[in-house]
Amino acid sequence: MITVKNVVKKYKNEKEIAYRDYTFLDGKSYIILGASGCGKSTLLNMICGILSPNKGQIIIDGIEITSLSQKQKDKIRIQKIGYVYQDFKLIKNMSVMDNINILRLENIDVSSSEELLKKLGIDDKKNKKVANLSGGESQRVAIVRALAKKPDIILCDEPTGNLNYEIGRKVMEELLECSKGKILIVVSHDERLVDLFDEVIHMEDFMVKEGEQHA
Amino acid sequence: MLKFALKNTMIKIVQVILVCVSIVLSCGTAVLAFNTSKQIEDGITTNAAYYSAIIGPAGSQTQLVMNTVYFTDSPVGTIPYELVSELSQDSRVEKAIPFAMADSYKGFNIVGTTKDYFEEKELLNGNIFSIPKEGDEGFEIVVGYNVYRAAGLKIGQKIYTSHSVGDEHHTPFIVTGVLKETHSMSDDILYTHLKSIWLVHEEEEEHGHEEHDHEELNNMVCSIIIKAKNPSAALSVVNEYNGKLFSGHDAKTYSLQAVEPMAVIRSVLNDADSTRYIVYALCAVILVMNIMIISVVTVLNMIHSVPEIKMMRLIGISVKKINLLYLLQNSIIGAVSIGLSFLFSRIGLLFVGGYAKSMGAVLSLGAVYPLEFIIMVGVFVISVLPTAIATFVLSRKDSIAE
Repeated sequence: MITVKNVVKKYKNEKEIAYRDYTFLDGKSYIILGASGCGKSTLLNMICGILSPNKGQIIIDGIEITSLSQKQKDKIRIQKIGYVYQDFKLIKNMSVMDNINILRLENIDVSSSEELLKKLGIDDKKNKKVANLSGGESQRVAIVRALAKKPDIILCDEPTGNLNYEIGRKVMEELLECSKGKILIVVSHDERLVDLFDEVIHMEDFMVKEGEQHA
Repeated sequence: MLKFALKNTMIKIVQVILVCVSIVLSCGTAVLAFNTSKQIEDGITTNAAYYSAIIGPAGSQTQLVMNTVYFTDSPVGTIPYELVSELSQDSRVEKAIPFAMADSYKGFNIVGTTKDYFEEKELLNGNIFSIPKEGDEGFEIVVGYNVYRAAGLKIGQKIYTSHSVGDEHHTPFIVTGVLKETHSMSDDILYTHLKSIWLVHEEEEEHGHEEHDHEELNNMVCSIIIKAKNPSAALSVVNEYNGKLFSGHDAKTYSLQAVEPMAVIRSVLNDADSTRYIVYALCAVILVMNIMIISVVTVLNMIHSVPEIKMMRLIGISVKKINLLYLLQNSIIGAVSIGLSFLFSRIGLLFVGGYAKSMGAVLSLGAVYPLEFIIMVGVFVISVLPTAIATFVLSRKDSIAE
């Protein structure tokens, strides 16, 4: 369970973003919709401990991560959270398997990766360099890396942003299939995908409006 | 982690090669310069230390020592053998060993001496030569290790020496022993009894093959090696015989010189010291310049790796593991480069070996000095230091994205 409580984030020279209090429940899938730059990715980055809010708390399974050191946040991220970045965050000159095996540096068991690669239809690409993969294939590799460590929470930042709708929808269906029983939070601007998710959150409703109190 | 570090190193092969080449050239050159200089110095002083004094014809002190101790240069001249007998009976002298250099075999010099010469030397196999007798079918000869290897000689084998190129003697020499390898010029020498040298020339002259002055060889020696009973006795002998006039069997008067080889060699080395320090200074400059290149390339590599490091941080790899990974990568590059530097220095030794031989030292590939390790460890630390600093700075930064 993830609880967002009185969270405010302000970047330098930019307007502050205040998020409504919200709880993401175990086993459910969420899609957060909104225009670019409205604070969707910021929320994911705060949940996984990459960014710290200026105010408020984010609580994951009873642990208030906002008060933890970066080292402790890193530990939670590597153990509990699988993050699929919009730009994949893959090492282009390394093979698919090397990009997954990088998690073994933190003694993470990635033995399920072979099965996931098969499930996502890219098991034949496992020894190929990421640089030689298409956008859709790279996206699948990023998903496999996020799921291989069997995380409790899966965060996806515009996972279909680089793909056409048909491929994007297929990838999303596969992602949902692999994420059953976990918290899946996807941020996207593509409203055509909402039918796939348990909960749909529109950023304009999720943000505290000017003059309004946190609730 | 090692496997991942190796893979991550291989994807930056061009930068890795650049760092490796810089390290190999600088470290290898420094190690080669130091090793060569040290081996030559050690070889020169070790050889010279065997003898208390050398007595020979008046002339260049350095030439006398270089010829008698290192078998280089031509003999200064000759002196009568009777002087050996006189010195042998001197109470200050433990041993007076005659030394004559004449003839060669396949380009290796032949020295005529006595069994006393071999007191400090060990045989690999066979025996020392015996005293020759007139009418012997062949004279006995002991060969140095390099001669044995290069000419593929065997005990009992007959060899024919020559006075000059194409001027082979008719009386054969029979190999009776092989000396153990000493990594000195001694390995390149054949030794026979002094009388064998005289006899072979006598016989050749009888056969009408010798055209040079027979008197120059018969009953003459090039120098006399003195082993004194103590250092003050050696000094006393040197003082007495240096500049002395000696009347020989042929009624000629010979002007002598007597030297302490160590003193002559130390003086030669002192003269060469400034050259040695210039070489060291140049090596130090090369080393410093390459250290700067290595540091810049390593720092650039680290800067180039920032997106990769950031990516690893974003997926949750801890700073500690990333630091370890990059330190391991650079340690691998450093260790491989240092290993190649050592190899480079040894290959270099093969090339400078010929030059060193002319200075009386045979360079050994197996000779390793502690300072070489200090240089290599120092370069290794310097090659890893920029990464260590960069990773330390990284680990101080608590936040990832802000």
